[in-house]
Amino acid sequence: MPDPILSLQNATIQFGGLVAVDNVTFDINPGELFGLIGPNGAGKTTCFNLVTGVYKPTSGNILFKGKVINGIPPHKVAKLGIARTFQNIRLFGALSVLDNVVIGGFLRNQTNIFASMAYLPGAIRETERLRDQAMALLEVMDLADEANGRASDLPYGKQRRLEIARAMATQPDLLLLDEPAAGMNPQESEDLMNTVRKLRDDFGKTVLLIEHDMKFVMNLCERIVVLDHGEEIARGVPVEIRSHPEVIKAYLGEAC
Amino acid sequence: MKFWAVRFGSIGLAVLVSFGIGMIAQGSSGTVSRLLALAGLYVTLAVSLNLINGITGQFSIGHAAFYQVGSYTAAFLASILLSRGVISNLGTPIPWVLVAVATSLVTAGIAGLFIGLPSLRLRGDYLAIVTLGFGEILRIVIQNTPQLGGSYGINSPKAFVVPYVWMLTFLCVGVCRNLLQTAHGLSFLSVREDEVASSAMGVNVTRVKVAAFVIGSAFAGAAGALLTFNEGFINVNSFTMDVSFIILTMVVLGGTGSVTGSIVAALTLFILPEVLRDAPAMPLNAVLGTLAGIALLVGTIRLAMDHKGLGRSIWMPKTYIGIGIAVAGGIVVSVLANCLPALANRTIPSAELRMVIFSAVLVIMMLLRPQGIFGVRELGLKSFFRRANA
Amino acid sequence: MTAGLDASALPQQLLNGLMFGAIYALVALGYTMVYGVLKLINFAHGEVFMVGTYTALFVSWQMGYFQGAPGMTRATSPAVLLLMLVASMIVCGLLGVAIERFAYRPMRKQARIASLITAIGVSMLLQYGGALVLPVSPPRSILEQVNPYDGNLSIPLKPRNASLAASVDKAQAEEKLAALALEQRIKQEGVSSEFDLSEEGKKIRAASQAAAQVSRDAESRYNESGMSLNVPYGQGIMFLATLGLMGLLTYLVMFTKTGRQMRAVAHDFDSASLMGINVDRIVTFTFLIGSSLAGAGAMMCATFLGTQLTSFVGVTWGVKAFVAAVLGGIGNIPGAVLGGLLIGVAETLVVWAGGSQYKDAIAFVILIFVLLVKPGGLLGSAKVEKV
Repeated sequence: MPDPILSLQNATIQFGGLVAVDNVTFDINPGELFGLIGPNGAGKTTCFNLVTGVYKPTSGNILFKGKVINGIPPHKVAKLGIARTFQNIRLFGALSVLDNVVIGGFLRNQTNIFASMAYLPGAIRETERLRDQAMALLEVMDLADEANGRASDLPYGKQRRLEIARAMATQPDLLLLDEPAAGMNPQESEDLMNTVRKLRDDFGKTVLLIEHDMKFVMNLCERIVVLDHGEEIARGVPVEIRSHPEVIKAYLGEAC
Repeated sequence: MKFWAVRFGSIGLAVLVSFGIGMIAQGSSGTVSRLLALAGLYVTLAVSLNLINGITGQFSIGHAAFYQVGSYTAAFLASILLSRGVISNLGTPIPWVLVAVATSLVTAGIAGLFIGLPSLRLRGDYLAIVTLGFGEILRIVIQNTPQLGGSYGINSPKAFVVPYVWMLTFLCVGVCRNLLQTAHGLSFLSVREDEVASSAMGVNVTRVKVAAFVIGSAFAGAAGALLTFNEGFINVNSFTMDVSFIILTMVVLGGTGSVTGSIVAALTLFILPEVLRDAPAMPLNAVLGTLAGIALLVGTIRLAMDHKGLGRSIWMPKTYIGIGIAVAGGIVVSVLANCLPALANRTIPSAELRMVIFSAVLVIMMLLRPQGIFGVRELGLKSFFRRANA
Repeated sequence: MTAGLDASALPQQLLNGLMFGAIYALVALGYTMVYGVLKLINFAHGEVFMVGTYTALFVSWQMGYFQGAPGMTRATSPAVLLLMLVASMIVCGLLGVAIERFAYRPMRKQARIASLITAIGVSMLLQYGGALVLPVSPPRSILEQVNPYDGNLSIPLKPRNASLAASVDKAQAEEKLAALALEQRIKQEGVSSEFDLSEEGKKIRAASQAAAQVSRDAESRYNESGMSLNVPYGQGIMFLATLGLMGLLTYLVMFTKTGRQMRAVAHDFDSASLMGINVDRIVTFTFLIGSSLAGAGAMMCATFLGTQLTSFVGVTWGVKAFVAAVLGGIGNIPGAVLGGLLIGVAETLVVWAGGSQYKDAIAFVILIFVLLVKPGGLLGSAKVEKV
């Protein structure tokens, strides 16, 4: 058993009286495709926000590669090797598709701001390098044709792919995808599934994803944790989850 | 090799052009020389505010404060040098001018740091009012500091700074252009677009904001120092809220984020009131009539533009009727104004008129072209301002 | 002043501050209401205020205050004052609506900063355009004629020391005796004036003067042993009227259908329009109410505070009122009132503490400190962005 790349140990966060994430514990192994599901308001995105440093856990720990990362600001978490996408797409709308991805790569930038202000050869080379890397990622995500268009002009499905390309540009070890298939048609969703698999198989990324599309999660993820009201209610491989009574109750319970 | 040739070539060209402008200034009257200096200063101010406001998206509306910090730093330095006998009342030697400019650059940069820090907590309009407040507090403190001339103002030995003004302008434009060509500039833009996403992508939002404030205000400070030596006398009235608003207007009118737009807008808005300064006095009723006519005309065009959005041509019958009403309205207001005893037969000196025309033009431009003269685009010189393969 | 701060003047200063603050609050309400629905800093609001001051002045002039028109007596002035108030409110309300209709509404779909620049443009146009046609108002001395309510309402705070009263009586009795003695002496010597008295007579005169001094001292000691608040009638009425208007506004916003719609638009402009609210009507209404409140503030400022009016009077008042709105939490109606009162009090306290030259800076200083601690203002809440 390899050391887990990400561990949540009794992670808890409260907003006032509301316990949004309650004592959640799970480990993700390197190279895993890991799913986080649950009904709306279950605390999935809050988990992402805890991992990426947007929130600090009220109690419990979050370990990345064995190191505690509680309360480290988001930009440092990104530098450590965790990248994310957003449920409500947050692209840099007015910038070009290519520039969006270049910004993703900027955190590995080697030059200082004075070199950029003076436009020294080092800064130019560095920018060229980031641009080439971004272009390569756009190829992977099938967005190369769109490179010079405005990000906000892209259709919805492509915006989601661009978010993934941008996250990939930070060269993360762990990729957090927040509802990557939301709003996609079956064909797009199928393509996305293959892309995510490719990211793991060809680029060696570990992927943690939140998704409501059950077909997507069940086909893609190797292990799944189910949250409801901030608490874990089930975990296991997709087959187990599918037939887990608690899960069925959580998803259908309100209706019954 | 070619890279360095181009680089030094362009720097050399900038210096040459600066001295060329300097020679024009030297050969012409004092007024023209002063205008040439002020034009360069306003371009610097607009471009440096554009870095904070347009590129990084931090809503600062108190840019004159940094201009003031630089200006007073230079004046204070000059007064010390004067009292020590290092420089005489006849004029400040250029080396000392450059020392003062460098000092002002630093003090204004530090002021920018102090204003940049609250920007980490404050968003949008709250930040705006703090930057405005900083300028007002500074103005009142200076007014009550006898060492800085109090409310009267402070004298400094003049110097012929026109070439250096334009070198600073070129430097400021160059730095902004360079930044935007590199990944660093993109990180500034990303903060404008979405702070949360930027930080998730590893951009240190704090550092970017503070850097933008420090760089932007340092340039404004250097401009202030040159103003001091160009004018020979400064007081707090040169740095009122109106000045901040005019600089902000230049940025917005030029198209938020567009460096070239800021330059063109700065020159236009600067030249407009200066040209009007020499205009002859006008009869009041004619002025009021013209204003009313223009207002009606703008309303007509604006309405027509809204209809154009519905897929119609601007030039429809309604438009012509509107223009007729505008002309008639202007005449009616003019005649009415002449009938009022308080307003009849008065003429208005152009000095009072120029700010009226300035603000009228401002409103009209915003109504007819709200996205700025150039929108977010850069103007011309593709290879210079556009990223090579973007 | 070496004696330090005069603590006995403090309650009076606080009261004066509240009265000033009430006007700031009235103007601040307009900023905050417009910001609430449009998220726009209405820079022209200060100029609406300016137009209001001139309207009030114009009405009072037309009604003959400055010409000593026949039939113009104190008795008729309350009606005239009411007329001034209503005229200011109507003119300002209409001006605000016009500015919104012609300058802001066409910009509504544009970036927020474009509307802001338009607002600045309109504001400068009114300032400099106003300078062309508006006179500089008469200074305080004439303005006082507009204010028919002379005198103060004196509210005792602390009763005077009764034991001192006896000494006052005694001193006054002695003073009378001495004065009588002097009078008799003058008669006795048969001189026309007390300055022609003989040496002996001059001694009596000196004694009389000394007695008068003792009496005066005793009386002032007695007066200072107590404390009272003086409310100039005019300002008192102004304050009450302000409270009345604020009450009216609260009723309007909280308990009427239009008010409910206004709150809905402030909460979410787009959703409100989808829910069938006529947002244009609500925005117009907001400008009407906000601007007429500025008109009310302007009338009171012109009438009771005796500020000298120029077409630039709205700059200072406008900026400070805006600061008040931000201080309280912009978009928040009680916040604007709180902010306005706070700034009014702070300014008078600064003057009281001897820093009158820093009066105009204190609002900003308070603002910056408050925002550093509470970025959303006193009663506002900073919006936390949902990720």
